[in-house]
Parts: sequence; structure tokens; C-alpha cells
Amino acid sequence: MKLPLVLIVEDDTWLAQQQSRVLVAAGFKTVISPHALSAIEAIDDEAPDVILLDVLLTGSTAFALLHELQSYGDTGVIPVILCTNVAADIVLNDVAPYGVKRILDKTTMEPRDVVSAVRSVLV
Amino acid sequence: MSAKSKAHEGVIAGPLVGLSSIVAAAHELKSPLALVRQLSLSLESGDLSVSQQKQMLHQISLTAERALRLTSDLTRAARLDDALFELEPINPTQLCEDIVRELTPLFEAHGRRVCLQVRKHPLLLVANRDLLRRIIMNFSDNALHYAKGSDVVEIQIKALNAGQTIRLGVRDYGPALSMDMWKSLQSKLSTAPQPVHARPQSSGLGLLIVSQFADAMQGSIGVTRHSNGATFYVDLHASRQLSWL
Repeated sequence: MKLPLVLIVEDDTWLAQQQSRVLVAAGFKTVISPHALSAIEAIDDEAPDVILLDVLLTGSTAFALLHELQSYGDTGVIPVILCTNVAADIVLNDVAPYGVKRILDKTTMEPRDVVSAVRSVLV
Repeated sequence: MSAKSKAHEGVIAGPLVGLSSIVAAAHELKSPLALVRQLSLSLESGDLSVSQQKQMLHQISLTAERALRLTSDLTRAARLDDALFELEPINPTQLCEDIVRELTPLFEAHGRRVCLQVRKHPLLLVANRDLLRRIIMNFSDNALHYAKGSDVVEIQIKALNAGQTIRLGVRDYGPALSMDMWKSLQSKLSTAPQPVHARPQSSGLGLLIVSQFADAMQGSIGVTRHSNGATFYVDLHASRQLSWL
């Protein structure tokens, strides 16, 4: 059985490793991209099933990446979960048109919340 | 030599106790605290190997130390106006070697390397050792965050203006600054002190603090844009002691 692939777009190396470890233990495959540019390459190469996306990234923000994803039919349908320190400033309804299905608050979430969030958007 | 940071009266007390600075400080501390919390919760779960536990504990310590450096810089900056501090001739090579030694465990834990570009001819500059150390540590922390993969971060020492100015720079090989970000950064640096945004996810608080440290030593900070990264630098007056020899 093919394991669902989660692309983790996170510029904090240790947090990305932490999220990857939790997801792999829960039965997912993961790929880590530290910034939006490498994320676009990874999306082209790996065709992830879900994108776990930090908002404040090195080089450009997540919103530039979300715009890019929406420009193409195949990438625009990939569910996105925002995982951010600025969750309190983002309204899900505002970002839903960009494919965002869930928002996780890094400051309050439990490690396994990423697993629940990924499962919920894959259903 | 003794100096008081009189050139910035009202400036340091203003931005560093203002609401925007408190918000910026809170923003800057969110990331390390969130990471420490995630790692701690994972440790509590108990389903980790011994080597994973050791690695996480090490990451927690290093992350906490980085956050503490920011809080320490904040309190130092807030007291800058009132403090008398020594400006003295300093050998920047020696200072930077100490910084490289101190930061090496942090860089190695990230799979990266920090090094000093060694000069043939020794230089002396006039500075306060503690403030200068904080500036270079801040630039290095910033470079660590933006360096790609296993790229090295270089601390560089250069003489400018026929040896009258000494430039200490920290070169990273992270993503290039876009032209828009570059113009914005230049504009903000030229009108400092105020929060300057080095890169999008940064509140600019670190640069604000170090610009005040540099001002207090009659120096200035700046940034050079490269196609593959950036060099953040501080310019300080050279000491004339060597020329007397």
C-alpha cells in the first residue's frame, strides 16, 4: 500500500524533523522543504498528498506559495494545513480559497495534532 | 577610554520599551519557546529511543540559550543609556575566534559550520568588548537560521578607508534577498534606529538592538546583498595603537 506523502514546508530544521518523526511514526511518508522555492520543486517532483505549511518562511511567505499552487489545476487541489505561530491572526475562511483546510497553532498544539490534522484532510 | 551613549538619548528608551518592541520581542521568542514545548512534550510521551532523547535534550538546551541571548541583549539595550562602558582597543581576530568556539556546538547541531576568515596582518579596533561580541553573536545566529544545508557561515574582518575603519561581517549563503526586500532593508537601515526587517519572518528586533549597540560605539551596521546570501556587518573605528609601533 502506498503511504500518503506529507510535504513539510518549515524553515526551522529541528521543528521540521520533529513533525516528520511524529508523522512517520503514524504511518506517513514525509519530505521536508525549508523554503517556498524548494517546496515548489518538491511538489513537482514528489506530488505530495498534503502540504504542512509554515507561514513565515525564509525568502517569501507561505502566501506566495499558496498563490503559485492555485495557478495550476493539479497543485491547486492539494490540501494545505497551515502550521504557524501567527495562527491567531489568520481566519480559516479567508485562506480557504487557497486550499487551506486546517490551521494549527504552533504555540498551543500537541505533537500528535499534526497527525490528526493530516488524517482529517485526507478523508 | 570611557564613553556614555549620549548620542541616542531618548532613542533607546523609546523603541525598546514601546509596545511595538514588546510585540516584536514576543514574536521573536515565540518560535524558540514553541519548539522547546514541542520537544518537551515529545520527551514526555516516552516513545523515543535513548539517542533521540539525548538529541532532543541537546536541542532544547541550545534553543533555550539562543532565546536567552535575545532577552539578555534586550535588557542590555534598555540599560544602554544609563550605563558607562569602556571603549578599548580590541583585537577582533581574538574576539571572533572566541565567538566561533562558543557557537560551534550550536552550528554542529544544525549540521553547519561557522569559521573565521583569518587575516595575515593583525588589526585593532575601538569598541566595547561585550557589545561587539553581542553584535557578532546576533549576526551569526541570524546567519545560522538562513544558511542552506551544510553551508558554512564566515566571519570576516576587513580594513576600509585606508585602515581607518574596521568592518566585521558575517556572511551567510542563504536565499538571496529580493530587490524589494533589499530596498526596504536599505531604507530602514538608513533611518535606524527603528525595527528593520532583515527577512520576512524576522521582526527586525535583533537588528534594532545591534544597531543601537553599534551606535553606542560610534559605529554603524549594514548589509551587503549577494546573489547567494548576505553579509551583515558592523563598521567601527580602527585603533591607532598599532600605527604608533
